[in-house]
Amino acid sequence: MNPLVVRGGRERLRTKNLVASGLFSLILCSTLYLAAFLDGMQTLAPASQLQNGQKEYLSVPANGAREAFPVLLILQGFYLMFLGTGRVASVTAEEKESGLLDYQRMTPMSPSSKILGYLFGLPAREYFMFLLTLPFLAHCALVGKIPLGNLLHLYAAFSCSVLLYHLTAHVIGLVVSRPRAASWVARLAVLALYVFLPVLGQAGISFLSFLTILPTYFGKILPHLLAEGTENLGRFEGQAVAFWRGVPFFTETVSPTTFTFGMQGLFLLTLFCTAYRKWRLDSLPALSKPLGIALFLVLQFLLLGSLWPFFSHGVASGLLGQALELDPAKTGFPNHLKNDAQPAIAMIVVQSTFFLLNLAALLLLTNVCCPNPHRRLKGMQRKEKLSLSKVPSLADEAPGAVLVISLSLIATCVFGCLRFLAFSPDQFHSASTYLNAVFLPGLIFLLTALSLRAAREQWFNLGFWGYVGFVWLTPILACLVLAVDDFWGNSQLMLHLASLSPLTFFPQLITYLSPDLIPGEAQFVDLSTSVETGVIAAISQAIILTIKLFQSNRS
Amino acid sequence: MIEVTDLKIHYGDQVAVDQLSFSVKSGSIFGLIGPNGAGKTSAIRAIATLIEPTYGEILVNGFSVLHQPEIARGLIGYMPDFPPVYENLKTWEFCDLFAHAYGLKGEQRKAMVLQCLRAVGLEKNMNALCKTLSRGMRQRALLAKTLVHEPSILLLDEPAANLDPKSRIELRNVLLSLAEKGKTILISSHVLSEIEDTCDTLGFMKDGKMTLCGSLEEIGRQKGKGTCLKIHLSRPAPSLPSIIEKIPSLSAFEETGSGGTKYRAFLQGTESEAEQILAQLIQVEIPVCGFICEKPRIEDLFLELEADGNMESKAL
Repeated sequence: MNPLVVRGGRERLRTKNLVASGLFSLILCSTLYLAAFLDGMQTLAPASQLQNGQKEYLSVPANGAREAFPVLLILQGFYLMFLGTGRVASVTAEEKESGLLDYQRMTPMSPSSKILGYLFGLPAREYFMFLLTLPFLAHCALVGKIPLGNLLHLYAAFSCSVLLYHLTAHVIGLVVSRPRAASWVARLAVLALYVFLPVLGQAGISFLSFLTILPTYFGKILPHLLAEGTENLGRFEGQAVAFWRGVPFFTETVSPTTFTFGMQGLFLLTLFCTAYRKWRLDSLPALSKPLGIALFLVLQFLLLGSLWPFFSHGVASGLLGQALELDPAKTGFPNHLKNDAQPAIAMIVVQSTFFLLNLAALLLLTNVCCPNPHRRLKGMQRKEKLSLSKVPSLADEAPGAVLVISLSLIATCVFGCLRFLAFSPDQFHSASTYLNAVFLPGLIFLLTALSLRAAREQWFNLGFWGYVGFVWLTPILACLVLAVDDFWGNSQLMLHLASLSPLTFFPQLITYLSPDLIPGEAQFVDLSTSVETGVIAAISQAIILTIKLFQSNRS
Repeated sequence: MIEVTDLKIHYGDQVAVDQLSFSVKSGSIFGLIGPNGAGKTSAIRAIATLIEPTYGEILVNGFSVLHQPEIARGLIGYMPDFPPVYENLKTWEFCDLFAHAYGLKGEQRKAMVLQCLRAVGLEKNMNALCKTLSRGMRQRALLAKTLVHEPSILLLDEPAANLDPKSRIELRNVLLSLAEKGKTILISSHVLSEIEDTCDTLGFMKDGKMTLCGSLEEIGRQKGKGTCLKIHLSRPAPSLPSIIEKIPSLSAFEETGSGGTKYRAFLQGTESEAEQILAQLIQVEIPVCGFICEKPRIEDLFLELEADGNMESKAL
């Protein structure tokens, strides 16, 4: 057995721990389960069985079990996903800070065994508490008549998610040195990655929704949790089940469980590679340059696959798709999107989301894969010592120019492909030419990438994140203040300010490239001047920072 | 055997270790001495594969630490200067964890854990939780953990920092017996007396560089402070100064007491030369009643090196 798993058991499952955590888990689980079960069991009798027209309740155990199932699932998630994740992150960071991790790093166990040992050893108590909820689950499945196959689907996705969250926490613990910070950063990262990011699925980028157990829960379990005698799901449940039933990907439809495993497997692989490198040597960057490029390629493939149906046929998943398909005659509500401008608005939303996601990926990969001044200096000294003409371009110490140019080209090609799809079937009409619509955003993305790379290579963390905060966030905050002061009066100034931050400049640029949306000539002129400001700012930043980097390299 | 060649370690713009080269032979105990910030811990951590050097080569038993870290790690036992332990493990469980991780199995593992705990005097505390151990005991538990896979190379960073005098003596004996068995040991320490008693080779580090390296006598000779010869006479001998002056390996001859019976000189040679000098003095009928060879004191050398460094920085 893995020594680190044995250690986890010895540390956290001594008799007194077993008794305390066991009692806690049993009391909490039985209270919540029974409360939900008894409440759900009381079912209103059908009208045909009523005597004297009075309301009568029947005891239907199956309904009780079905009502209690989500409660049980949330509790299990709390044990493993919340408590377990925090535990893995804080202990990893604590051991890194104290030096205990160095002892483990020096043992001849393979990095993979060490990673698995930490993942299954550290949350040993949480696994034990989870184990105690299983009898309740068995009761729930039997009494509620939930199909075993579907349950296995769900718990396979649940285990995969738990592993993913714990690995995320472990990697964060390896990267963030302060234990308390690591614990909270891990929980926040789990929330951001697996709760907020999936929300982007509602904007047509469906693959992001599959990082959680929700697709499998809605697709496989929810239809079986209907109270006995009920034929149809409620409106919300119905929409959710419909949303998660099949994933449109390129021209195919993929099953949600398959897609969930695919997506989670991809994330697991990435995190595993990072943890592997960190276990080998703490000072190594989390990702190598080739791995960074490979990951970016996979992201682009997923984006292309998810957005393909939208750009080629105007079909989208999530809220966006629903909004596009709403029929005012059926709903009784006017659909403001169902007019000439609607596809263009949808295009702006989707394209902006595309670029925002790519910006996030670019920021992450530039921060991780481009060398900081220390690593750059190390590369230069080694180059001189070994009499090399240059540092090999894919080495960790090599300048990141090739990397960021590659990333920009890849993103621009994918964007170009999507825009081509949009132009070809005449789904969307736009006044701007294809070349403009692709070239300008691609150029801005490249300039942003070059600026980020130059900042990363000449400043340490404080300088780099200070630069990102200053250029990416300050203009948005300033706009907020101006908007509160006088929105319409300051609109011109706000547009100019917003064009300085890539986060707000991309939506602006894409709107500018879809002029059919802009009602009057005046606003168009306003937008064109602010776009000019944004382009000039992006070019100046890239040139100044690159020259500064060149000078610091020479010195 | 450890071979360090041209090692350089940078932290940002700061140079922690600069062109460090030295080697430690099998069966030898090498002591790294230097003020705080001299680069001792960085050098040891680089040898232990825990820091990636800016450049340079480190070989342990012929395996490159940079290119074959997995093999090198199996050969090394590393003990850091602060003794972190798994607080909620029992002492034997702590050692057992590492014995298990290093691939020891079944009864062999149990026996090895017990043997190591016995060697460091923790047999009685084997069932105590690590969090209940005193700092010195933790240090010993850590040493036991370091020895549990029988590494051929030991890297000990301040191993006696928290030990009581008795434990220090025990540690010295353990290290000497390990060296006798052919282990290569590298120690960094601030406790000069401990280094003096344990190590056969010393390296003085300052500002990331090795300023002097060799045995205590060799370093003493390099600094013009060879073995100190103390000559006691039963009665004054006026001819002694002129005789001593003719011996080229002796220097700084001076009278240390009143009455012309106590003298001191520094010998820039080996102990056999001291024997010849004594024989020569007896031959010319100098009334020698005491003849003591004293090795140079490590504290004196350390302070002298510190003073040299200060003089250099003042001159700059």
